[in-house]
Amino acid sequence: MATTENGPGALEPRPAPPKEQRFSLNAIQELEEIASHYPERKAACLPALWIAQREYGGYLTPAAIQEVADRLGMSYAEVEGVATFYTMYNLRPRGRHHLEVCTCLTCAVMGAYDVVHELERALGIEVGGTTRDGEFTLSEVECLDYCGAATVVQVGDRYFTHVTADNVLNLIEELRQSEEYTPVKLADAIVKLHLPGSSQTGGGSRTGEQIRNNELY
Amino acid sequence: MGIRNLLFEHRDVENIQDIAVYEKHGGYRGLKKAVKMERSAVIEEIKTSGLRGRGGAGFPTGIKWSGIPQNDDKPHYIICNADEGEPGTYKDRELMLKLPHLLVEGMIIAGYALRGTAGYIYIRGEYVEPAWQVRKAIDQAYRAGYLGKNILGVKGFNFDLYIHMGAGSYECGEESALMSSLMGERGQPRLKFPHAPYPTVEGVWKSPTLINNVETFCAAAKILDMGGAEYARLGTERSKGTKIFSVSGHVARPANYEVEMGTPLMELIEAAGGVVGGALKAVIPGGSSVQIVRAEDCPRVNLDYESCQQNGTLLGSGGFMVFNDRTDIVLLMKRTAEFYMHESCGKCTPCREGTRWIYKILDRITSGGGQPGDVELLLDICSQIDGRSYCGLGDAAAWPIVGAIKAFREEFDYWIAHKRSPVGPGHVPPTPEVVNPLLTLVPA
Repeated sequence: MATTENGPGALEPRPAPPKEQRFSLNAIQELEEIASHYPERKAACLPALWIAQREYGGYLTPAAIQEVADRLGMSYAEVEGVATFYTMYNLRPRGRHHLEVCTCLTCAVMGAYDVVHELERALGIEVGGTTRDGEFTLSEVECLDYCGAATVVQVGDRYFTHVTADNVLNLIEELRQSEEYTPVKLADAIVKLHLPGSSQTGGGSRTGEQIRNNELY
Repeated sequence: MGIRNLLFEHRDVENIQDIAVYEKHGGYRGLKKAVKMERSAVIEEIKTSGLRGRGGAGFPTGIKWSGIPQNDDKPHYIICNADEGEPGTYKDRELMLKLPHLLVEGMIIAGYALRGTAGYIYIRGEYVEPAWQVRKAIDQAYRAGYLGKNILGVKGFNFDLYIHMGAGSYECGEESALMSSLMGERGQPRLKFPHAPYPTVEGVWKSPTLINNVETFCAAAKILDMGGAEYARLGTERSKGTKIFSVSGHVARPANYEVEMGTPLMELIEAAGGVVGGALKAVIPGGSSVQIVRAEDCPRVNLDYESCQQNGTLLGSGGFMVFNDRTDIVLLMKRTAEFYMHESCGKCTPCREGTRWIYKILDRITSGGGQPGDVELLLDICSQIDGRSYCGLGDAAAWPIVGAIKAFREEFDYWIAHKRSPVGPGHVPPTPEVVNPLLTLVPA
């Protein structure tokens, strides 16, 4: 704010994030609905960050954090503290598909590292990197808790199971064909899960029969 | 003893996620029975059943329920811990996916017995698909009059149920951290009894709060239906009922198996189709936080709280991991240590620093730089974390390492002396050459 008036040698305060209001009318309604579930407005911080992650295109910019803080009456630092604590909030852009390979205990002994190496080779990136065309980001994640179906790879709101170094390239092909931008789709699904009645208007649920037959995508 | 499908009784019924099908198979009968009883009688029923918390700690559920004050004017909150994060565990996932109404029914029963104002189901952010089934079940329960105002015609019995999604944090499965997270904060633990009141007295928003695991609420619904005494006939003297184990690793048919408490450990391995890819080497019976059991000790272990404890391990959350003789225990423990290092919330020093030290020493050993005395150093660090951290995560980081050193000391010594795996080529998990584990620590 007053950075230029402080003169040379003065400690410059951290520049305030740009003011931006990107929440759509629909998003504001969703936020108000969710906030009414709790006795305190602040409790809607996690869902509000999910809304922001969707509205700001899959990751949280400083402006997104500022907007959440403004809408919930919290400080920027408080919301930033929350946003940086949880691993599913993206603070940097992700590829159109974020491949999150579980390499925790069971997956590790069932060949998850082979899957990671195969992906690194096929995509030409290291863990943590994004392909040049912005299609894929590769990450290693801690337990996704579907250990019976190791190796598990999460992409957006979907779990891919029984992934091996041999079949992982099919997965890549399938994702390349899809039109979706999965980080945004994930954020949208999570927002909708908070809203009563949203199961009637669609959502990602499969039929009971599909689940019974263990048709895992 | 053996497989006993109690919660899973109707798991494979077609469309059991639909309320009409669920009701046809005896659904919401437990709730209907409960609302005809005195509130205290419902809690008594849970006490009679001998049910203990299925999330890992095994605290008697009836005692927890009776900790909620009966005659105050504060709101009461009922919280379901569906932040399943323990490596090896996926039972809550299947319960929510296939039997979401059982969970909803259990929570409404708790809402009735404890005069609940509202209930929150805290589901981990990754579990989108199971959460959709819960969403659908809640919406249907509202339309059927099981949720909302004056439920089942009981005047003044108002109860609302909400879903709250997490955003990626193992620590939020710890009950005080979960409360922080529900209130919109970083998922870090709070001071506990005796330094602070129990959550049942002062939990979220300074009000009495009940927190139970998914499986516990599901069991509560069954108990009200079948009767506490009937439930207590299952299991052993001090471990009543059934427990779901998520079997994974080197077995032919990894899946969730519901067994009667006290079933021999070996019987569960048999049920899962036996060990594949080699001979049995070790079992972790209750998730990554508990101590590993050597194959030769397995026949002595029964799957109940007491037998596990007598054999130096814990029942935990039921994450049952089986390892064959291709498994390198030191590398496995290094991966375990990496998990806890990543998931430590950073609030208290013993856990934040200790988990890193454990990882670094194990990394040094498995990179060929192990030094004599490293094992003693590990034990020393673990003893400094255990019991000295804010919450159980510190203990959970130390126990498996101490347990593995006790059970497989010779493998640690072999690594230090020979700078290679005692298992030989083709061991699992592999020695990471390409993957730099520190990359996973780069902040998102």
